[in-house]
Amino acid sequence: MSAGSSGPVRFQTSGGTLLLVEQEHALPLVHLSIILRTGGVHDPVGLSGLTRLTARMLRMGTRKLDQAEVDERIDSIGAHLGIGCAASYVQIGGAVVAHNLEPFFELVAELIKSPAFRANDLARAKRETLAELMSICDDDRALAARHFRAFTLKQHPYGRPIAGTSASIKRITSRDVRTHYKRHFVSGNVIVGMAGAVTPEVANDLVERYLTLPRGKAPKDRVPPPNLDEGRRILIVDKPERTQTQIIIGTLGSHVRDPDHTSLQVANVVFGGLFTARLTHEVRSVRGLSYGASSNLGHDRQRELWTMWTFPSAKDAKGCIDLQLRLYDEWIQKGVTPGELRVAKNFLIKSHAFEVDTAQKRLDQAVESALFDLPADYHSGFSKRVAEVTRDSANASLRKRLSRRDQAIVVVATAQQLQPQLRKLPRVKELRVVPFDRV
Amino acid sequence: MLLLVDHSAPVLSYHTWYRVGSKHERPGKTGLAHLFEHLMFNETKHVKRGQLDRLIESAGGETNAATWTDWTHYHSELPSSELPLIVRLEADRMQHLVLRKPQVISEKEVVANERRFRVDDDIEGQVSELLYATAFTKHPYHWPTIGWMADIEGFTPKDCEQFYETYYAPNNATLVIAGDVEEEAVLELVQKHYGKIPATKLPRYAPPAEPPQRRERAVQLERPTPAPKLALGYRAPSFRDRDYPALALANDILFGGRSSRLVSRLFRDEELVTDAHGSVAPFTDSGLYEIWLSLRPDKDPDHALRIVEDELAKLCRKPVTRAELEKVKNRMELGFLQGLETASGKAEQLGFFEIVMGDGAALFSRLESLRAVTARDIQRVAKRYFDARRRTRISVVPERPKSAAQRAKLAEVAS
Repeated sequence: MSAGSSGPVRFQTSGGTLLLVEQEHALPLVHLSIILRTGGVHDPVGLSGLTRLTARMLRMGTRKLDQAEVDERIDSIGAHLGIGCAASYVQIGGAVVAHNLEPFFELVAELIKSPAFRANDLARAKRETLAELMSICDDDRALAARHFRAFTLKQHPYGRPIAGTSASIKRITSRDVRTHYKRHFVSGNVIVGMAGAVTPEVANDLVERYLTLPRGKAPKDRVPPPNLDEGRRILIVDKPERTQTQIIIGTLGSHVRDPDHTSLQVANVVFGGLFTARLTHEVRSVRGLSYGASSNLGHDRQRELWTMWTFPSAKDAKGCIDLQLRLYDEWIQKGVTPGELRVAKNFLIKSHAFEVDTAQKRLDQAVESALFDLPADYHSGFSKRVAEVTRDSANASLRKRLSRRDQAIVVVATAQQLQPQLRKLPRVKELRVVPFDRV
Repeated sequence: MLLLVDHSAPVLSYHTWYRVGSKHERPGKTGLAHLFEHLMFNETKHVKRGQLDRLIESAGGETNAATWTDWTHYHSELPSSELPLIVRLEADRMQHLVLRKPQVISEKEVVANERRFRVDDDIEGQVSELLYATAFTKHPYHWPTIGWMADIEGFTPKDCEQFYETYYAPNNATLVIAGDVEEEAVLELVQKHYGKIPATKLPRYAPPAEPPQRRERAVQLERPTPAPKLALGYRAPSFRDRDYPALALANDILFGGRSSRLVSRLFRDEELVTDAHGSVAPFTDSGLYEIWLSLRPDKDPDHALRIVEDELAKLCRKPVTRAELEKVKNRMELGFLQGLETASGKAEQLGFFEIVMGDGAALFSRLESLRAVTARDIQRVAKRYFDARRRTRISVVPERPKSAAQRAKLAEVAS
């Protein structure tokens, strides 16, 4: 199949697992993506990081193999395997040269079906996680992102740190891990995707033979719509010796099922989704304030955040925030121009070819649709929906979805320099400072 | 010009590689090749400021560029129907760039910000810069591609004009086009738009010889970080050297995958690090074999160094096993195939081999040359290059606690 294909072949295995296969035989390579419809939002209160830790422990050994043997097998067959955890899902993904697909899949299935969850491995995984949490302190951008979600969304499940906190990781016990695993690793909660040099028949046969999980359904989604506190709230993540700042400003965005979601996507491209977009143009091209400047409309099963990101020098940070807030207000109030709308729509429609130019990308779209229960034409009908967006609909979506009053601003900077300046911003309801190494 | 026709998707990837990078600069003007990369997105006689990006984005495309020691590389990904547009735009900016003072000033500020982002406020960036600055004393690999801050601030439009006139010409460039295009149409368009651009007289590249290093060079930094870091740089061969594939495989034996010798020891067995990787600089001249360790808080960097040295010594003492060699070759094959999945990946690989190896077609025999490496080859290059007397070592230690007065002030701010 090629870019023009009608999408991956779908199977429901006898155990109830959804299987998606996208063929492409140009290279002897197969991508594997096993998705669990469980993510950080399913962490019990007080145990943030449990889903990620449980997923991570899958590759620390099975009842028959210890971690060294697992690592050796994966590398020996020329495969790559990564396990990641997001708010709403866990992805066990990898790639392998086609002739080794069967031993690779058999091994991955074994990791999922029969994890050992040894007590000493859990202790090791916890130590690893705690060290990683500390290493985030070296990455100002990651620090800003981690603090932004927690500061903006507070106790909402989307505000919980997916990797956990030092305190929550220390609390997790073997029993927590086993209980969490038993509840979530069931056949109806799993999506298997394969893309590349594999036929649907071979893929189906592999899943039927090797990935037999206990029957069960996906746990119910308990994520309520998020809310934002009123007013403009600022958090400074205080780090010494910063010559540069990391700034994230945001508010609530829209839900993928909102009727005006596509209109808001187009409007966002106008604002900060292109190199020539307003934000990038004014911040970088005209004033040279920041090497990067962009905005993003997040999407998940629930309503997600809209954010803009810049990283000006410390001396320019206040000026850059002033400019961003002014641009944001003008964007909401005055909307997009006909010329901007035309460029954004052209870009989204014509660049769609790059969303489907490899088997893996086509598979990813299908997996995402299944994972987020998106309408059947969410991806295939994207260009058509973009074509239908008008200036009125884009501007209406801005006014309806994005708040000019309720905003969170998170800045990684040396607080002594910046705190007095940020106090002068209009309508500040709260300004807090936290040390950078409190994780 | 290199052309790779691939009709699997209706897209094309258009790359222009110029044989000019930071090694062609001189002290006092470091970072000029990189600043110039930014300026190439500005204005030409026929395309107003900002229009290049706008035209490409309106056509559904994306464009970007990169500069390193040996080259500058511009690339655009577009729907295949937009071939005429990109040929016209790239040929235009090869010959008609306009360099005005306001643009140069604004772009210098952007690059200064990029430097703060990538180097000044990034520990790994700082260490990498210091590693090369310490290891190379004469050769242009001494200075960073992004340039020293003072040099970035000092550039004038005249510097940029001279650089453009010297290096931006068809005889210093290679076009690489991959994707859903027809050979005849490509040739016709390229001839039409580039055919009359004159060649320039290129200066001879003759870098000063790097004096032999006879003793280890070591530098220690103190930084606001919760954990120590360690970077090592051993003298390494050029990408063109016949030793390079064997050293690349030696690196994979040490750092390739979780079962590799150093990753398994440092991460799993000793629980010493949160990050550990190695790489052989893919440069046209001799570079460094680099090792980077980010330790866990309170772990001893000297202990980590002893483990690294122990594993390097083992590679020198004893040939690797057949199974281990096969494992790293399998991993290399996977990486090679993944690099060829998209039109962009194909074009980038082809261009890189053309510029750095002097032969784009060498891409297609690379796997073969890696497959031909023997355990004896790995042992030979390990003995040759893993010489601690010719090593540069950069250590980062967490900043000591501040004075009581400083701590009190910080606490006040934090509250």
